[in-house]
Amino acid sequence: MFKNSLVNFAYFINTSKKYAKTKHFFYNLLENPNYRYKRYFDIFMVMLIFSSVIILVREVKFDVDDSLLFFNNYIISIIFFIEYMLRLWIISSVSKVIIMRSEHDAMLGEKFKLLPPLKEIFLVKLKYITSFKAIIDLLAIIPFFHQLRLLRLFILFRVFKLFRYAKSIQTFTSVIALKKFEFLTLLIFASIVVFVSSVLIYVMEANNSDSSITTLFDAMYWSIVTISTVGFGDITPVTQEGRIVAMFVIVAGIAVFSFTTSLVVTAFTEKLDEIKDMKIIDDVSKLKEFYLICGYGSVAKEVAKKLSKNFKVIILDEKKEMVEEAIKDGFTALNFAPGSIDSYKKLRIKIDTQVKAILCLSHSDVENVYTALTIRSFDKDIFILSILINETSKNKLKFAGVNELIFEKELIGMIAKEFIGQPVAFETIHALRSNLNGIDIQEIVINSRVLSSFATVGDIKNKKYRIILLGIYKKEEAKFLFNPTKSTQLQNGDLLLIIGNIQFIDDFNNYLHKKAS
Amino acid sequence: MKHKNALIFGHNEYSIEIVKNISGYYDNIYIFKLDDSIKKTNINNIMYEVFVFDLTDDWDDLDKRVDINECVTFCTLEDMAENIFLTISLRDTFKDISIISLAKDKESATKLKLAGASSVFPLTQTTANIIVEMLEKPIVTEVLHNILYEQSDLQIAQIKVQNHHLFEEKYPAEIDWSKEHNIIVISVLKKNNFTEFIYSAKAKHSPIKNGDVFIVVGYEKDIVKFEKLIGSRYE
Repeated sequence: MFKNSLVNFAYFINTSKKYAKTKHFFYNLLENPNYRYKRYFDIFMVMLIFSSVIILVREVKFDVDDSLLFFNNYIISIIFFIEYMLRLWIISSVSKVIIMRSEHDAMLGEKFKLLPPLKEIFLVKLKYITSFKAIIDLLAIIPFFHQLRLLRLFILFRVFKLFRYAKSIQTFTSVIALKKFEFLTLLIFASIVVFVSSVLIYVMEANNSDSSITTLFDAMYWSIVTISTVGFGDITPVTQEGRIVAMFVIVAGIAVFSFTTSLVVTAFTEKLDEIKDMKIIDDVSKLKEFYLICGYGSVAKEVAKKLSKNFKVIILDEKKEMVEEAIKDGFTALNFAPGSIDSYKKLRIKIDTQVKAILCLSHSDVENVYTALTIRSFDKDIFILSILINETSKNKLKFAGVNELIFEKELIGMIAKEFIGQPVAFETIHALRSNLNGIDIQEIVINSRVLSSFATVGDIKNKKYRIILLGIYKKEEAKFLFNPTKSTQLQNGDLLLIIGNIQFIDDFNNYLHKKAS
Repeated sequence: MKHKNALIFGHNEYSIEIVKNISGYYDNIYIFKLDDSIKKTNINNIMYEVFVFDLTDDWDDLDKRVDINECVTFCTLEDMAENIFLTISLRDTFKDISIISLAKDKESATKLKLAGASSVFPLTQTTANIIVEMLEKPIVTEVLHNILYEQSDLQIAQIKVQNHHLFEEKYPAEIDWSKEHNIIVISVLKKNNFTEFIYSAKAKHSPIKNGDVFIVVGYEKDIVKFEKLIGSRYE
C-alpha cells in the first residue's frame, strides 16, 4: 500500500509542470552560470558572507550589538541552511529513481522493492553531502561553533564559503589540479626534507643550553620556516653541526620554492588557452544575437570584416592555425569543429534564439556539407548559407539543408555578362551596392508606427525627400511590387525598397517614424 | 564600344562560366591556355578551339589571328602572379585593348589595376559582398539580382536620348517617369562620361540633352515603348 502510494506520488511529482518549473528555477539560480539572475544571487550571498565575517571579526575583541549577533547567528544561518537544502534537493531527482526502479521491477515481473531505490538515492545525496563544497556549506551554517566559542573556526568556514561564489578561485583550483602528481611529488620531497632536518637539528641542538630548539616541535617549526624561505629568525641553530643542517635545508628550500613557482606557471601556461576559451564561451553564451561562421578562409575573413561593423560574429574552425589567424584579425574565434554536435553542446550556443544565421564558408564542399547536416540534425529552421566550391556538390549541399548557396564561379560569369552587355547599368548598380557617391539602396520596414500615419504609397511623399521608391515587398503575398501606384495600401511588415542619398534616406526614415508623435 | 571578339586567357571553371555567359555578345571567342593539354573544349554545346600561349612578350601570332582593336580580353589565370604578368604584358603590347582580369583578393586587385587592367573582378570581395548583402538586405539583393541577371520580368536598361525636344529643356528630376512611362530612371550618364544619380545636385542643374543615357528599371514592354519614344538602346 505504502509502496504503491510512493510510486504514485513519484509519478505525480515527475509529471507536475509546476514542480519541474520550480526545480528548474532553483537549479538555474544555484548552478547555471548562464542564468541571468544567478549573478545577482551570487552577489547577494557574497554580501551576506562579508557582513557575517565583519560581525565575527569585530566580535573577536569588541562587544557586538545583540541585533547584529541575532542577524548573524539566525538570519544568515537560516538563509545558508535554505541554500544548503535547495542544493541537496536539486542535485538529483528522487522521483525519477523511484519510477525507474519500479518500472524496472515491473518489467522483470517482480514486486517493487523499496530498498534499492532508497539506497541509490541515499548514495547520490551522500556523495554530495561529503563533497568538499557541501562540507564547507554545512560547517558555515552551524551556529554550534559560535556557541562553543570556536569563533575562529566559525569565521574560517564562512570565509571558505566564498570559494563557491568566486569563479577565479575555482579556476585556480582547476589549474593546480592539473599538476596534481607533480605537486604530490614535491610535497613528499618537502616532507622528507622537513622530517630529516627536524630530526637532525633536534639531535644537534636539543642538548645545547644556548639553543632555543628544545623540543621536536621547535625543530619541525624551524625546519618548515626555513624550507619555506620565510626565515623568521626567532629560532636559529647555534652549534656548527646545526648550522650545516641549516645550510642543506636552505638549499632544499630554494629548490622547493623554485619548483613550486615553475609548477604553477607551467600549469597556468598549459591551461591558458583553455581559460581564454572558457572566458570566450561564457561571453558567447551571454550574447543576444550573432552570426556564426563555420570555417575561416579568405571569403570568411572578408564576410566577418563586413558583418562585424553592425553585428557580432563568432567564428568556428577546427584548425588551430586558422583560429589563431582569425583572432589576429580581431575576431572572436574558437577552436571547435563546426561539424560536431559536441562543439555546440560545449559552447552552450542556443541556435534558435542566439544565432541569426549560420555561414558555412570553408573552402571545402565536404566540410560545408558535413557542417550543414550537423546543424540540421538539431535545428530545422535556422538559416544556413554556404559557399559552393565545386558545382557537382550543389545538390549535396541543398540536400544537407542549406537555404542559400553562393557559387563564386557562376557569379563571376553573370557579372562578366552584365558588365559586357550593359556596362553603365552595371556600374550604376555596383555604385548603389557599394554606397559609392553617397547613394544607397535600402529597405525600410513598415510597422504599426508608420502605418498610424501613412496608409498608402501616395501618403509617404518620397519625392519630397529626393528618394526613389523602387517598389514594395509585400510580406503577406511574398511578392515584390515594382513602381506601386499611389493608391497601393501599406501593410504591417511590408518593406519599402528605396534609393537615395544616405542622408536623405535617414531623414525620410525619421519622417516616416516621427509623424505619428 | 562594342567588340567583335573575346580573348579568354586561362581554361578553368571561371573562364568556362565567363564563356557560357558572354557567348551571345561576341562573334568569336578564342580560348588560350598555357599548356597544350587540351585542344578543344565543349562549353554549352559549342566546341571551342583552345590555343596555346606563353608568358613571353611575343604576341605576333595573336596579332595575326585577330584584329586586336576589335577584342576584349579576359585574364583568368588562377596563379595570380601569372595573371598579373599576363595583364602587364598585354597592356605593354596593346595600349588600347580592353583587359578584364580576375583577382583572388584585394592585394591582387590593386596590382592588376597597376598592371593596366581596364576592369578587375575581385573574387573574394565579390563573393563576400554578395553574402553580406544577402544577410543584411535580403530583399534588395533578390530584387537587384533578378533585375541585373534577367531572372524576372523586370529589367535594367541603358537608353540614349535622341529626341530631347520632347522634354522641353526639363531636368530629369522634374519628370514623373514612373507615372508617365511606368519606368524608374535611376541615373543619367552625361556626355562627359560621368554618371549622376537622378536626384543629385549636378543632375538637377543639367537639362535633358541628346546623347544623355538614362539608366532605367522597368518591365520589358515599358522599356521598349520608352526606348522608341526617346531614342535607342545604348550599347
